[in-house]
Amino acid sequence: MRAECPARAPQESLFRYGINIERKERVIPSSAVNKPNFDSRLIIILRLGAFFCFAGWTWVHFYWEGPYGILVWQDATYVFAERIGIDWEEFVGSGADDGFVQKWVARIGWFYLICAVITVIVRKGSWIQMAALVGGSGLLTILSYAKYVASQRQPPMFIEHGGQILMPILLVTALALGVRHRVTVTTALLALVTTFAGHGCYALGLWPPPATFHAMTSVILDVGYDTANTMLHTAGILDFLVCIGIFLPPLRRMSALYAAAWGFVTAIARPVAGMSLSLNYWGADQFVHEAVLRAPHVFIPLFLFFLWREPQSAENVARPPGLTSDDSGTTRPITCTID
Amino acid sequence: MTFQKCLTICCVALAIACGRADAQQNRRGRAVLSIPKVENKDIICFALYTVHDSTLKLTAQLYPIAEADTKTVRLEIEKDGKWVEVARTTAVEQGWTAPFRVENWDDSRTCRYRVAHGTEATYEGIIRRNPVDQDEIVVAGFTGNSIHPAHGGDISRQDIIDNVKKVDADVLFFSGDQVYDHNRHYAAWLKFGRDFGEIIKERPTLCLPDDHDAGQPNLWGESGKISTLSGASDGGYSRPGVYVREVERAQTSHFPDPADPHKVGQGIGVWFTNLNWGNVDFAILEDRKFKTGPAGRVPKQGPRPDHIRNPDYDPASVDVEGAVLLGERQLRFLDNWAQDWRHADMKVALSQTIFCGGAHIHGSANGRLHADMDSNGWPQSGRNRALDALRKGFAFHCAGDQHLATIFQHGIDEHRDAIWSFCVPSIANLYLRWWEPLEPGRNRETGAPEYTGDHLDGFHNKVTNHAAANPEKKPAGNILNTRAAGFGIVRLNTATRQITMECWPRNVDITSSAAKQYRGWPRTISQFDNYNPRSWGKLGKITFDVEDPVVQLIHADTNEILYTVRANGQTFTPSAPKDNVFIVKAGKDAPDTIISTGMKAGSAPLAVTIN
Repeated sequence: MRAECPARAPQESLFRYGINIERKERVIPSSAVNKPNFDSRLIIILRLGAFFCFAGWTWVHFYWEGPYGILVWQDATYVFAERIGIDWEEFVGSGADDGFVQKWVARIGWFYLICAVITVIVRKGSWIQMAALVGGSGLLTILSYAKYVASQRQPPMFIEHGGQILMPILLVTALALGVRHRVTVTTALLALVTTFAGHGCYALGLWPPPATFHAMTSVILDVGYDTANTMLHTAGILDFLVCIGIFLPPLRRMSALYAAAWGFVTAIARPVAGMSLSLNYWGADQFVHEAVLRAPHVFIPLFLFFLWREPQSAENVARPPGLTSDDSGTTRPITCTID
Repeated sequence: MTFQKCLTICCVALAIACGRADAQQNRRGRAVLSIPKVENKDIICFALYTVHDSTLKLTAQLYPIAEADTKTVRLEIEKDGKWVEVARTTAVEQGWTAPFRVENWDDSRTCRYRVAHGTEATYEGIIRRNPVDQDEIVVAGFTGNSIHPAHGGDISRQDIIDNVKKVDADVLFFSGDQVYDHNRHYAAWLKFGRDFGEIIKERPTLCLPDDHDAGQPNLWGESGKISTLSGASDGGYSRPGVYVREVERAQTSHFPDPADPHKVGQGIGVWFTNLNWGNVDFAILEDRKFKTGPAGRVPKQGPRPDHIRNPDYDPASVDVEGAVLLGERQLRFLDNWAQDWRHADMKVALSQTIFCGGAHIHGSANGRLHADMDSNGWPQSGRNRALDALRKGFAFHCAGDQHLATIFQHGIDEHRDAIWSFCVPSIANLYLRWWEPLEPGRNRETGAPEYTGDHLDGFHNKVTNHAAANPEKKPAGNILNTRAAGFGIVRLNTATRQITMECWPRNVDITSSAAKQYRGWPRTISQFDNYNPRSWGKLGKITFDVEDPVVQLIHADTNEILYTVRANGQTFTPSAPKDNVFIVKAGKDAPDTIISTGMKAGSAPLAVTIN
């Protein structure tokens, strides 16, 4: 019977750690384990993560400006433009009007908008839409690279964008290959690990943390620098523990849950710290998108949490994490004993 | 499998694209910054000082002191050939600064000093006597000390050292961005000391910490608030208060005592004050610390909260109520300062940046910005209040920050009714800007470039441009002078009351007749040009029985002070608005005697006995 109940494994783990949970039996209704239905919910999680990420960046591109200045305003770019036959004034504008660069930096927002829409409508087999989403990942890669260069080439700046960069690819793989496919789960793990490792490098002070880290901690919690520093160090250690714990079966769900919660907290910290009733629109136009575009930091760990929560077949339990039997969609009620 | 292949191809393509993009990056631009390991005898890097009101304040900057070594640092002066200790202090570990204060300092003589640590380390310099008998006080002005190799920041500063020695500058003024590293101020400050210590140790030096010094790209301090928005345009400091305090301790703890020492948020101190040297009264202003951040306060007008791109916007819409520039405390100080002419023939205001939007094109490639709220052109009301306070003392203004040398005369109610300002060029220019108005200026001087003359800046402030050292549009070589790098020299003649602005490129011998300044320089103005609107008339000539009395004009109907100034010689013909009646006060060092209660334009001459 135990082999039939994938939910039991964590409970056994808890027992091993001395946690006593009252024994009881319940019947999991068939609807809860309807795999296609459950898969579609997992897909929705991924859709939300990708949609909010693209939507947030769309807002940045249309309402503010994409962070590409560091890449385009430089000699190498001018040389490149000349090579492709665009003269300098045409490339950068005359000063009285916009040039190629300004116009195209503004137009990139349309690509983000299109990607945001596609995250909602894309279906399995929509290869063009999926290719567009992969292209969206490319855009996010360029954007993250620009931020990396702007940060004086600090590797964690690029690494911590891994979650955002991989979010569309994760959605595509989930649609194309299935939510439990090796590639999908590996992509999700990679996205989570890069995000938290990058963040952890800063929080631990391995690279100078962005000033906003201390500032947000101090403002939200009303603590001084030393306390904020201690808290960031602690968070940094936990970031790395999550990166390890996510690979340890007994800890992976807890790690994913913590990661989702921490991803939410760090994302929402921007508007919480910055918004004020005294500002125009309460400062929403300045800060809300900062939380929204970080949606992958929440939804990717949440995806893993629910993926691993799903009652699995005996075959699946015996397999390594992320492996699946097939996507046949066969359903059956399972009676499960929970310790 | 087909999909997996596609995915693999995409990933490889992305990796190649990133690699190519990386290769495109200009790796010359990365500066190497470290704290060198020095022997104990070299542990004192450099020292900065000022003398004001018989008080010497000197700050020694040390390399890290080993745990086992003493933290006590001594200040000694040479008396009769022997070194005599006059002060000792404990080095502040965070930033390794050793601030000294010596009261009852005799500023009538030049004195050799040395800072000593332990038994081995000494650092010698000279405390100059107050040059009150000199006719000309020379100020060497600098800004933007980028060390990045991409634009020549790694090129030796020896030309600057040599030129400062040749003109024997009396005061050094570093307007800001002495340090561009946002995380390692201490290491960068030590490098600054190694680069400039040779001239700093021998003359009063004023370093005003600006945004980059404080570790952020722009700074609207909002009285010490914590900024949480990337770019910091929500106002406040991005770096923790402890970091900002270290920066200010290193750069300003040798300033004369602050005029109003109450701290702002996060325990950050203030340092706005005045330095009286050679009968020139320098107001040292903090135009960043109290300023309101624009994000969320003003309607969005561009791609950043602090940038206005839309040329058709309503300038009045951003001059929002409650937005602060200098702040009440600093304005109070300026009001008092403008009236105080003890030991002062001329007044000069020093601040980080200028009181207008002084550039149109931002960045290396024609990025036109209608207005930049990082400049002191915004908020307009705060800008006008500051200029009004400064013109009441006929103050000349010197600043930096813009990376573009300019001369402006400001206007409040009409063009040219307020002070002149000289924005000095960057030592090494990190970021290019151009003054390039779309319309030619009005009332230009004969033969002057079209960009000069009367303009409205992006905030509709009235400005008159007299010179701009625009860099080349596509800089050949792209280092130093093609990027309009250089430094400024201001000659303040207390005898003639003339002010001469010089703007020199890098790596020239400024004493050579072959050396050429940037176009538009040198420029000489009178001290009295700093408040001489064209619409004003002349009151009657006043003849005094004393040399250089202090004269003050007060509106008879409102009791508001129009201005206070030290006259040059025994006669003075005040200028003032027509059709207004004025109370005129005068005195030898302060306007303590009413000499007329009803002067107005066209009044009869007046002979006055003060003694």
